This record gives sequence, structure tokens and C-alpha cells, in this order.
Amino acid sequence: MLGWDHHSGEITEITQRRATHPARGFVIILRMKKTSNAKKSPKKRSPGSSPRGKSRFWHLVGRVSLVGLVVLTGWVVYLDAVVTSKFEGQRFEVPSRVYARPLELYDGASVSVGALKRELEMSGYRTGNGTQAGTYTQSGSRFVISTRGFRFADGSEPRRRLSLSISGDRVENFRNLSGENTAIARLEPARIGGIYPAHKEDRVLVKLSDLPPVLESALLTIEDREFYDHFGVAPLSIARALWVNIQAGRVVQGGSTLTQQLVKNFYLTRDQTLIRKGNEALMSMLLEAHYEKQDILETYLNEVYLGQAGTRSIHGFGLASQFYFGESLKDLELEQVALLVGLVKGPSYYDPRRNPERALNRRNLVIDTLLANGVIEEVDAQKARAKPLDVTPKPSYSENRYPAYIDLVRRHLARDYKQEDLQSEGLRIFTTLNPAIQYAAEYSVANTLKDMERSRSEPLLEAAMVVTSRDSGEVLALVGGRDPKYAGFNRAVDARRPIGSLIKPFTYLTALQSPERYTLITPVEDRKFALVFDDGRRWEPNNYDGEEHGEVPLHRALSRSYNLAAVRVGLDVGIEAVVETLQKLGVTDPISEYPSMLLGSVSMTPVTVASLYQGLATSGFNIPLRTIRDVTTAQGESLSRYSLAVDQVVDPGAVHLVQYAMQETLQEGTGRSAYRFVPDELGLAGKTGTTDDGRDSWFAGFSGDLLAVTWVGRDDNGPTAYTGATGALPVWARFMAQVPQHGFSPVVPDGVQYHWVNAETGTLTDEHCENARFMPFVTGSEPQDSVSCSGDLTRRLKGWFEGLFQ
Amino acid sequence: MILRRIILSSGLAATVALAGCASPGGSIYVPSGQSPDIEEAPEPPRTSNPDRTVRKSEQPETSEPERQVSPRHQQQGESLSPAAAGLMREASTLLALENPRGAVSKLERAQRISPRSAEIYYKLSEAYVALDQLGSAEQFTLKGLSLAGSDSSLQRSGWLLLADIRRARGNVAGADQAESRASAL
Repeated sequence: MLGWDHHSGEITEITQRRATHPARGFVIILRMKKTSNAKKSPKKRSPGSSPRGKSRFWHLVGRVSLVGLVVLTGWVVYLDAVVTSKFEGQRFEVPSRVYARPLELYDGASVSVGALKRELEMSGYRTGNGTQAGTYTQSGSRFVISTRGFRFADGSEPRRRLSLSISGDRVENFRNLSGENTAIARLEPARIGGIYPAHKEDRVLVKLSDLPPVLESALLTIEDREFYDHFGVAPLSIARALWVNIQAGRVVQGGSTLTQQLVKNFYLTRDQTLIRKGNEALMSMLLEAHYEKQDILETYLNEVYLGQAGTRSIHGFGLASQFYFGESLKDLELEQVALLVGLVKGPSYYDPRRNPERALNRRNLVIDTLLANGVIEEVDAQKARAKPLDVTPKPSYSENRYPAYIDLVRRHLARDYKQEDLQSEGLRIFTTLNPAIQYAAEYSVANTLKDMERSRSEPLLEAAMVVTSRDSGEVLALVGGRDPKYAGFNRAVDARRPIGSLIKPFTYLTALQSPERYTLITPVEDRKFALVFDDGRRWEPNNYDGEEHGEVPLHRALSRSYNLAAVRVGLDVGIEAVVETLQKLGVTDPISEYPSMLLGSVSMTPVTVASLYQGLATSGFNIPLRTIRDVTTAQGESLSRYSLAVDQVVDPGAVHLVQYAMQETLQEGTGRSAYRFVPDELGLAGKTGTTDDGRDSWFAGFSGDLLAVTWVGRDDNGPTAYTGATGALPVWARFMAQVPQHGFSPVVPDGVQYHWVNAETGTLTDEHCENARFMPFVTGSEPQDSVSCSGDLTRRLKGWFEGLFQ
Repeated sequence: MILRRIILSSGLAATVALAGCASPGGSIYVPSGQSPDIEEAPEPPRTSNPDRTVRKSEQPETSEPERQVSPRHQQQGESLSPAAAGLMREASTLLALENPRGAVSKLERAQRISPRSAEIYYKLSEAYVALDQLGSAEQFTLKGLSLAGSDSSLQRSGWLLLADIRRARGNVAGADQAESRASAL
């Protein structure tokens, strides 16, 4: 089940044998119990010494021996079943492996030099000659990458030698130097996490072919020199150990073979009884009788206990290598191998983090022993002894890099998979995480918050961020808090907060779906009013600055986020209609129908907001957010695919008009400080959101490629000095500025036309007249009257000249 | 195929220099503006706001000059990148070999590369027809149509595809409507 395919030839035979064993074992146990009673009673009588008694005695002895032989045979057969069944079945519970999305390389692919290098590093590439698989060379912006090949759910990516250069954050001159030409290639995806069993046993399975060259000989020299010659137990070693121990008066040396150690860990309890020792010896011999030395050694390497990380035990050399050195086993140096081999004797006693001196002595003792036995040369031994322990300060696994993202992946998996299967079957889970985007998101959150706190003494601010791919709904990055490595409260998924003005685009979207009543230049009133409810309560909404703006065109009311206008429009179209729009765009939680919802009293998580804004960012299509593309077995067979899905739920024309006002928000409205960070050319659209006393600061917006939602606030829901524009927007804008991407430029949908209008007068006008804006209208809803400024000849000429150079 | 950029002439009409480059028939690709060392980056001259104290208002300062760019749009859809076109050809082969699932995989890869190109969505629609998932097929056609822009041949093939799918789903009125849209082009 786990890809131990190099023994597949034998497995069929053994499986057959195993099928018959359990039954036999069962019968024999019963008989054994019976006979063991019979065995005791004759013993009592044995002191008798008459000649007749003598012959009876020998008779008895014969019978007892016969019974004993049968019992022993039965017991052996039983043990044999135990030994083979565990060895044949799934030997290890292997956690699911979670992968980032693979980087696709082709001419025009969007990637910066820095991002490519990080990506290569995460996928385990080394700088090298670029010829050996898993290495790359870089000279300036030119790369040669030798891929290792990878089995994806939809087929295998062969090993290739790729050559490319990067210019303006894009791939150029992409070529395959090995074999036939290809326009596109995928790198191996980076491993970003795992899903572990409850007992927290983790494993990185290794094969003998993956070992560093010295490991096997080092291990055998220290632990079991006669491994390849003994039959499971080594009587000579036991005798030697016994002699040494008797002399010392305590246990200083063990005579256990590797096979015995494996049996002990694999099948038996930890108590030290003679019976257990006997079982251990018998089972070791049985194991040896059934299986190749190589198979036993490989299982040992994956089973041996080498450390503890909190509640999680570290089994096997593969994981231990990650745990102590943060490196793949096969890349370890001699002194690192020596330390791991030395740890077998007592991982806790020789713990290199807690007892570095002991560990160092042990390591050097191992090195000396290897030298004495001719396994290594004097020069190498000297070099190795001179090296420091060099363990990573904190236990490092590649596992904890993106706890918030993995958390969301687990929730999505829970819809279709049982927890046990995720924890034990070694499934491979291919996610949509984009490491470069995640890096930029984490960076923006952490640094913007640091800056904000530097500029004023704020109580601890927190933040969350979600980034999705605008046209596919893939979740590319998720930040659950300001410390992205901390696997605690996942604000992106679990912090439900009032969304404030983020709701306004949906109110206007609802209005603009009736083009006969609302266009982008329809004058709306931004004046105070009071609502009196049946029970006598009054509600008097206010603008953020407490001022009224009078009659303003709708597009400006949205881009400036005027509250009074938004509530008036919302009440005019009806709260139920706004709720319906939200539901169409995928909100499933109940929404309160109080008028205060028009100012965003409704609470949502950042992930929900992202999914809601997906419909605004595309032309009215619901696109379910996805974190997973494929799940496969350990061998790469596809188990599930999560496909792209789209569903048009809102009129694309109305969405286009809202997109206009959301672009205006960033160019002229509440979001315009974003362009302090972001280059002008990057067209962006978005919306700020702020709740009372700055308790929540939101920004949701999109470019051509990405949709991002940021939230800044406090965990205790306390007030802050920030608004959407000063808290969440800087995080968002800093992120957008760092990521190479396409600007937003929506295709004009069917049934929408652009006209030059004067929004103040609500009339058609000429391009070069004052206050002229080129604005979209649902066909037929454009103004009919036209006011020209034809008198102003200079302006017209000027416009004509400018037209020449555009 | 020229990308249309509309320059707003509000008060002062001014030309805006383009630093980004337009891919053929596509939106502007903008390399990352700043390295992650954003603090070192010089502030754009546009921020004519001397006192850096952040006003506690959701509204912008009125003193800032009007921005001289206006919201963008484009009449044309975007063309396929060669890499996406290659994947689409592979998908067509898979469809011909009656492997629509394989085709969907390839097309989703292509979609991630050229997400604003109508052809890919039409092809996805074809694959879903082959999978007998007509609801999805109709939606992907609509998505393609939303990106076809002013290209009348793309529009026509979209409407005709939609008509076929709707007819197969028993929506005769919808099919007729789509067909008349196609013939009106």
C-alpha cells in the first residue's frame, strides 16, 4: 500500500499464506491453553522415584516434550502469523502530504527572479551544475534548471533540463535542453505540510536507494555488525553482552540485533520479561526467514525512534533528518549521519538540543568507531569531528510553514474524506497555494502592522488576508494573523466581523440592475434623515465625517462611500432585494434585514467576503473558492478532482457599472492612497470598509489577476484609530505593489455602451468639455439631452492635439 | 489590436505616460512595482500631502489633485498565450480520444495561463458536453461570451454553441434567442 513495490513479486505468495494462518493460530492457542494445565499437574507428581515411577517418569517426559513441541510449534506458527501480517499490511500510518501548486514555466509566465529562486529552494533544488536532476544554475537573470520529474494527478512530468531567462518579471526564451521541445513545463510542487494521525507519529519514509552512502555502514557498525550474517539473533553478541554486563554489574551493552530491535518496537510491549525476550528472539528469526535483509533494514530505518517533538514522536531517519537538520536525509554530511546513528541508543539522553555536550561526545565516539572499523578515512573523520553539532535551533519541519492555509485545506477535505484516511493512507493533496503570493501577503501584513504601531502607540493590532485568483476562485494565499507561523486562531476563516461599507457595492449593484431607475449618474441624496420603527426606536445614520453632501451622482456616492446616500438607495430598492443579491452571490448565513445592514452591520469572515467579491470581480459569476485541485493515492492515482466551476448569477452589465465605480474608488475615492504604493498602470478596483470606532478596518479589491481581502482590527474587538483606508488598505496596496500581475481592464459586456457625459448635469457632452467622463451605461439608459461646450475652441483644439499623441 | 486607454479630461487634460506594456489584445502586465524592501522605495511625487498624520476620516483629503486616469475597460477580449494554445491543442486531442476528463485537466491549466480568453471557456464547454454535464457546459459558454468582446466571430461561435446546448437541455426558447443573437451579428 505504501509503494514498497520492490517486493511486489513476493507479496502474492505471502498474502496467500497469511490468509490461512490466523485460523490456525487461533486453534492452536486454544490447544495450548488446555495443555498448559496438563503440563502443571504431572510436575507435582514427578518426585516419585520407584522403578515403575521411573518408567512412568520417562514416559511423562516424553509426553510432556511432545506436548511441548506441539505447543512450541503452535506458538511459532502463531507468532509467524503475527510477524507476517503486520509486515505485509500497511507497516506505517503515513500522514497525507500537502503540496503547493506547481510552478508552470513557459514564455510569458509571471515570475520574478527572487520568486523563482524561492520556489526552487522550496521544491528542494540546490544550486549546482544544472545537469544533475534537482539542481539549477543562475547567471544574472538566466537560469538552467534540471527537474526531477513528478507524477501529477493528470500524468507524469518527465525529467527535463530547462533553460530560461527572466525579464520584467516574465519568463523569456524558455527552452527544453533535453529531448523534444515543449512550450510549457511544471516544476515539482513544494511540500507545504501534512495531516497527522492522532498519536502524532510522523514519518518521512525513506528507501535504501535514498540513503546517504555512509549511513548503512555506520548504522551496522554501531548497532549490529553481523547483520548480514546472523539469522535474526546473534548468540555470540548476546554472550558477549552478558559477559560485559555481568562484569560491570549493570546493563552496559545490548546484544540485540537490528532485527530484534525492530521486532521489539514493531510488535511487542516495552516490559522486560524473559517471555518477551523469548518471543522477540523467535519473531526475529521468523522475520528473517520470511524477508530479505534489505527489506528488514529499510523497515528498521523507518521505524526506529529518534526523538520527540512535544507530543509527536519522531520515528525513522527520514523525519529525524528534517527534525534535527531541516534537510533531506540523502543530503546529510558524515557528522550529521554520525549524530543520528548515535541517537539510536538513547534519543532523549543524547538529545542534541537539550544535552549538546553529551550528544557531541556520542557523535564523536561514533566517528571514532567508524574510523577504527575502516568505514571512513582519517581525513574525513578529522573533518567531521571538527564540525559543530549544527542542529536547527527550533525543530524544523517543512510542515508548519502555512498553518492557516493548511487549516482551510483540512476543512475543505473534511467534506469528502474521513480523518483516519487522511492521517494514515499517505494521500497526496495538491493545493492551490502560490508560495510567491503567500510570501508577499505575509510580508505585507507583518510589515504594515509593524509600521502602524511604530507611528502610534496602539494596542496589539491583528490582521487577516485572503488572496484568490480572480478568474478561477483558487485560494492562492491565506494569512490568519500577524504571525503567519503561529498555528492558533485563524482569523481569515474564523473571525466573523461586521463588514461595514464593503456591503455598499451590493446595494448599488441591486439598484443598477434596474437601468430604467438607476444609472451611474443618477443623482442620489446624501442628506440626513431618521427612521422611526414601529416600537418607537429611531435610527439616524450619519456620514463618517458627520457631513452631508447633498445631491451627488451615484458613482461618486459609491466611490466616496457616502453613508446617507447608500442607505437611501438601499431603502429605495428594498433591503430584501439587497439580501437577495448577497444570497445569489453565495452568502448562505442568514442576514439581518434591519436597515443597519445597509451600512454593513452584517458579520462575515474574510474568506466569505472574498467569495462574495468574486462575483463583482468577474462579470457576475459565482466561482466557488477552492484550495484543492486533486487528491491522489500515495502512488499517484487520482481519488478526487475539484474542478473549476462558474455560475452566472447577476447581470454582467450591472456588474460592469459597479466595477467602474470601484475603480474610481481607488483613483479618486476613499481608496486612492493605494496609488502611493501601487504603480499607476496597475488598474485596480476595490472598496474600503470601516466599522464604529475603527473596530474593523476592511479592504476588498482586485486587479486583473488577483482578488484580495484584508482585515485589520483587534482580537478583543476594541476600537482603533484606523479606517478601511488607513488600516486595511495599506496592507492591501503594499501587497499589490509587490506582485507582478495584469491590471484590471474588464471587457465591455453585451448591452453596455460608453458615453461622454457630464455627471453633474446628467447630460451627454463632448469629450473635451469640462467635467466630461467616459462612462458605461446599460444601452438605452444613457441620458438623452446633450449639452455641448462647443464655444470653447481652445479646449477643443487642445484635446484634438492630445488625441494625436495618445 | 490596440489596447484602449481612456484619458479623463477633468479640469486639466493630460497625457499619462505608460510604463506598463500591453500584451497583444490583453490587459496591461505590470512587473512588481517595488521589491519587498518597500520602506526604501521613494515615494511617488503624487503624494502632495505634507503632514503625514492620518486623518481619522474615511474620506480622502480634498487637497490632493484629481487623479488623471479614469476607470479602464476594453472592447476586445484577450488572445491566447502560445503555452495555453498548446494545452488547448492537447485537450482537443484528448477530446477526440474520448477522454473528456483529461481534456478538462489540460483546459484548466490553460485557463490559469490565459484566464481572460473566450476560446478556453468554449473548449471547456465542449468538454462538459462530452461529459454530459450540460449545465456546466452552458455556464462556461456564458463565461466565454462575457469575454468575447467586440470579436464578432468569437461571439457568433459562442451564441451558436449556447443555442446547441440549450436545445439539448430542452430550453427551446433560450436556444432560439441565442440563435437569433448569432444571426444578428
